[in-house]
Amino acid sequence: MEVNSSFGPIDIAISGLQAQGKQMEVISSNVANARTVDAGKGEPYRRREAAFTSEEGLGGVKLDRIVTDMSDFLRVMDPGNPLADAAGYVAMPNVNLPVEMMNLNIATRVYQANVAVLKRYQQMVEATLELLR
Amino acid sequence: MIDPNMTVSGLMNSTKGPWGPGSVRPGNGPDAIGISKTANSDDKKTGFADAIKDYISKVDDLQQSSDTSIQDLLSGKSEDIASVVSAAAKADMSFKLLVGVRNKLIEAYKQTMNMPL
Repeated sequence: MEVNSSFGPIDIAISGLQAQGKQMEVISSNVANARTVDAGKGEPYRRREAAFTSEEGLGGVKLDRIVTDMSDFLRVMDPGNPLADAAGYVAMPNVNLPVEMMNLNIATRVYQANVAVLKRYQQMVEATLELLR
Repeated sequence: MIDPNMTVSGLMNSTKGPWGPGSVRPGNGPDAIGISKTANSDDKKTGFADAIKDYISKVDDLQQSSDTSIQDLLSGKSEDIASVVSAAAKADMSFKLLVGVRNKLIEAYKQTMNMPL
């Protein structure tokens, strides 16, 4: 019997944990930069989003790339701001905080679900090993 | 169906092999005699002692990789807790299986030794 054959569920659950960790990183970057008016290149911070891919056949999830959200910037009336345009508007990042909070909740729940899968699988293996006694 | 002599010699070799002070070399000694007695296991090159040794070394590898990943985490070399958890879960699981099999083998050995002749 191959020892590693029974480790599939562990690796898959761990890949889920790592993917949600990355997702958390992206969300925290979005939240931290929700008011970053100048993120270099003369424009506000653009919202990032993590794109995940599945592996061939039965396998875990992995981070494909981090894409930037190209939707329009929020325009805020602030004539006193040195970055304001002629009409007095300042472009703000296209980060929507409620959406980020929702994504944060989803990421937390998915992380917990992966931990639950890992725990349950360990319990299953232990139940099988009980048969040896 | 099962030759009682066969079972006895097989079990004794298996318990002696990995754990006994004089571990049985594959290919010579009573192991080879025991295998040559059976007709159907003749084509298999690896004996039972070899399989156990192989399994123990695999479990040991997992334990050591778990150890090094914990050390890397604590010394700050890596910050990936998930991979530490993965290594520890694998090491734990395989070690439990090894202990289960070992206990069963010892039990079988004791039963064989207590067999009234």
